[in-house]
Amino acid sequence: MATEPIVTIRNLTKVYAQGEIQVTALHEVSLDIAAGEFMTLMGPSGSGKSTLLHIIAGIDRPTRGECHVQGVDVARLNETELADWRNQNVGFVFQTFNLIPVLTAFENVELPLLLTQLGRKERRRQVAAALDLVGLADRMHHLPKQLSGGQEQRVAIARALVTDPNLIVADEPTGNLDAHSAEDVLRALQALRRDAGKTVIMVTHDPKAAAFGSRSVHLEKGELTNA
Amino acid sequence: MTIPAFIIKNALRNKRRAALSILSVAVSLFLLVTLQVALRELTLPPEDVGAALRVAVRNKISLANLLPARQLPIIERIPGVESVTPFTWFGGKYKNEEGMTFAQFAMDAKKLRKVFGEAKMSEEEYVAFENQRNACIIGRITAEKYRLKRGDRITLESTVYPVTMDFQIVGIYSGTVDDRNMLFHQEYLDEASGLPGMVGMWWMKVTSAEAMPKVIQRINDTFANTSAEVRAESERAFQLSFISMWGNIRILVTSVSSVVVFTLVLVSASTMSMAIRERFRELAILKALGFRRRELFAFILAESFGLAAVGGLIGIGSAYLLYTYGDISKLTSGVFVVFEVTPRILAFASLVAASLGILASLLPSLAAARMSVVEGLKTLD
Repeated sequence: MATEPIVTIRNLTKVYAQGEIQVTALHEVSLDIAAGEFMTLMGPSGSGKSTLLHIIAGIDRPTRGECHVQGVDVARLNETELADWRNQNVGFVFQTFNLIPVLTAFENVELPLLLTQLGRKERRRQVAAALDLVGLADRMHHLPKQLSGGQEQRVAIARALVTDPNLIVADEPTGNLDAHSAEDVLRALQALRRDAGKTVIMVTHDPKAAAFGSRSVHLEKGELTNA
Repeated sequence: MTIPAFIIKNALRNKRRAALSILSVAVSLFLLVTLQVALRELTLPPEDVGAALRVAVRNKISLANLLPARQLPIIERIPGVESVTPFTWFGGKYKNEEGMTFAQFAMDAKKLRKVFGEAKMSEEEYVAFENQRNACIIGRITAEKYRLKRGDRITLESTVYPVTMDFQIVGIYSGTVDDRNMLFHQEYLDEASGLPGMVGMWWMKVTSAEAMPKVIQRINDTFANTSAEVRAESERAFQLSFISMWGNIRILVTSVSSVVVFTLVLVSASTMSMAIRERFRELAILKALGFRRRELFAFILAESFGLAAVGGLIGIGSAYLLYTYGDISKLTSGVFVVFEVTPRILAFASLVAASLGILASLLPSLAAARMSVVEGLKTLD
């Protein structure tokens, strides 16, 4: 396992205001994640694991503390900078796949590349390579509704890695899958780490899924219990 | 895939809703163009070729008040006046029709060629009209509408005079901007009504456009402080003042147009809001993938603008084709003879369509742009 930290979190606190009530989702969390790790975040519902993942991925902001990803303090970036940063540095995999239903598998994977300067030919090459990597080269012209749940999630993984980001974040990616499909997805994530050197951070409830990671971190009531 | 292709796929994802949105814009803009053209035709009626040299003289009190026939020789002596004819509204109902479907005027048949020279008939028809006491001539549109021909006899019951009169059609004219009227002899009306010596108006032709202001001034001055003061004015001025008597037709049509546009904005905004609200989660995903606020704003704007533009093209285009190449007289049962969709009206309707596309997308695109990714991901599919 590589030892260079890609993510450095210090004294991170996130407080949500729900009317007059304030809910602390994360409290003074400090954590290092090394480049090339497949780290799993575990914990009961409401423990703050998704919030921590969202802050690392730059789609949510901390109330206090620092979160450096590849040396960039993501909390200090404005909306536009953050959008560009996400496009170049983070790949997302969600529990409910979140593919665009009117686009084919190929077009869904191509979406993040529309924001780059790549030409049509190069985009096609990268999309084809990403779909091939997840074993769906023969399904590239299928719409999401024509794919199984496992195949949809693998398309989502292809979409996450098509821009070649260093960091892949996955929020309960096997939550909606049967055991066989879940294993396929987890092996695909494992391969990303092993073969492509990506850092994978995955939120999961499932200890079997967590076993595919190289390290597991537990959260409870917004605090780390085994960092 | 390209960004425009992505926008088109999104716009057409719910084909029924997209079709209904386009249709509602198309129908509304068709209606808007129709109302604008109708308003223009009503308030800016087309001019005859000879209008530049024609003067209308009416009773200063109102159009309904008659003028004494003794004014004729006085007017004829005014320098610059070439030819004068009485012109009296008969207000006759044809057969069993509820209202008047074409206008009838009594005049001096011998003055027809000079005063209303654009009415074209054969020499034989002109001569017959001038020489036969109960003769009448009718416009081509009315003749076609009622399948009337030379030699036919028609009976009209006046709503102005207590008489019912019989006429024989001796000519069918065309060439004026409104070939619908019927013309007959003032003398015949005088006899039948038992009210000789009174006419509705005077219409005259002046010798030149330069002479017109002086002639108008002179006529007004001549009959000032008499028992029948007059108001002389050019044909254009008369038409406009005649229209003003209709009251607030402009306000009415403008109000209806405004309601159409306002309702359309509400319906379109509601449709766009619904379409975007259903896709909040997808928009959050796009944001997570790196799409910026302004890009999402542009996607929604382009989608809304595109639907409005297609609807506008269909609505405005079909109105243009129908009113330009269709038989408007038949379509409107003779109410309008000309229904011109001017470039100005086309531009106005296009501007409404474009504004509609922008306005309808403003609120949903602002909401989508402001939404945080986390908030959007929590949205249910």
